[in-house]
Amino acid sequence: MIEYYTLMHKGSKEEYTDNIFMNFGSTVTVLMLSDSGEDPIPLSEEVKTRVSTYITACRGIPFDEVSTKLKGYIPVGTDYMLIHINDTSINIERHGQIYASIVKRGEIKMLPNGPFSIEDDDRVVCGTAEFFKYLSKPAILSDALTAESCEEWMDNLVCRISDKTHLAEGNLTAVTLIVRKDENIRI
Amino acid sequence: MSDWALISNEIRALIAYALILFVVAVCAFSYFIYFYRTKIKKAASEEPQLSLDVAYFHERGKRARQEDSYYISPMDESRKYGLVVCVSDGMGGMRYGDVISQHITDCIKEMHPISFFACENNADAIRQISNDIFDDFKQKGGATLAMVQIHNDHLTFYSVGDSDIILVRNDEATILNPRQNYVALLIKSLVRSGKQTQVAYTNSKARALVDYMGNHNPRVIYTKKPMRLLDGDTIIVNSDGVTDAIPVKSIPRYDAPSARAMAQNLKLTVKQKKHPKQDNYTGVVIKLQRGIV
Repeated sequence: MIEYYTLMHKGSKEEYTDNIFMNFGSTVTVLMLSDSGEDPIPLSEEVKTRVSTYITACRGIPFDEVSTKLKGYIPVGTDYMLIHINDTSINIERHGQIYASIVKRGEIKMLPNGPFSIEDDDRVVCGTAEFFKYLSKPAILSDALTAESCEEWMDNLVCRISDKTHLAEGNLTAVTLIVRKDENIRI
Repeated sequence: MSDWALISNEIRALIAYALILFVVAVCAFSYFIYFYRTKIKKAASEEPQLSLDVAYFHERGKRARQEDSYYISPMDESRKYGLVVCVSDGMGGMRYGDVISQHITDCIKEMHPISFFACENNADAIRQISNDIFDDFKQKGGATLAMVQIHNDHLTFYSVGDSDIILVRNDEATILNPRQNYVALLIKSLVRSGKQTQVAYTNSKARALVDYMGNHNPRVIYTKKPMRLLDGDTIIVNSDGVTDAIPVKSIPRYDAPSARAMAQNLKLTVKQKKHPKQDNYTGVVIKLQRGIV
């Protein structure tokens, strides 16, 4: 099972223009679209609807197929990240200023494109460049190692950003994910 | 008559010598294998770890009494059990702050040696110390606790309240432990309603602790898994008297080749600020470096 928590904060902007689309099952699909970077390519409502509809129905479809399909929908030059994650593996495809880091065995590493094996209690955070702007690697790591849940991890990260910006800058968009083997799920 | 009797005495002697030589060779080979395996194992276990250089300062500010306490586990046992360092800061304006902070560091001292990997049990033990204080002092006083344990180039930490555990890496200082104060709760609440957070920092109770040692069943923040440390890292465990005087981001400016020199820099800087309400200030500096022989 994958535990997750999302952050969508408009900051000082008039509108929240980033997007997160998710599909939940034994494999969780996350699509993050950034519309608030330095040179954003505005996404039409039609594109958003098509992408949303596709992600909602993408359960069981192989990663490569989803990726190929999305390339047809999303305009070239748009910052986005597609993630497929389950109990044993994570597959990532990122374009532009969206990043993901994995916390594994007491260390933090940036995730490049491609598939990787993961284990119980591995923790992943993905977000826009605006989200990571004020977060150092040790900060992300220590918050991951002390947090009981995805929500707490995100709260602690947001506190750090708030200490620097009062959350008064651009849109903040991020997702925290924790791999939970079934026997470790707390009731 | 057996076939053996047909062989001449010289040949028999040669065969006997050959057998003896064979047995000696087998023994020598076995010993060789055993010796080198032991040596390799030993070498692997003695893979050069980061050496620990520790120094501290413990000063009274403008307060009537010293309410900070600290504990540093024996350095000569750090290879075996790891190094434990903790700082406890008695809550100002409450009675027994000094007694409680001293009690906490004494209890941590009694826990030595502390298991490095039993983080949950250690957190339970810290919670129990807090519950005992609650029973004895009935919330007439309290203290913070910031504790680190370093073993085999890895770090675990425990925290209750708002004392700091700071990592200085690549000229950047990061507070590792989340502070358990009211501002964190306000931020959480504001974010959930999509607001900015300026108002959280101007709240008169922003710095009030929401959890502390002396509370009943406090939340002990602790690392669920050890964190990898790197060559050149510096860990500072300190009371907020230090970080109130020196902004965290400027701490790397006071870095020095030895822990003693860095501790001295920090201590003198706080002293030179001459803040009229300077809180007590205590800090333990731990520098990790690859030892070269």
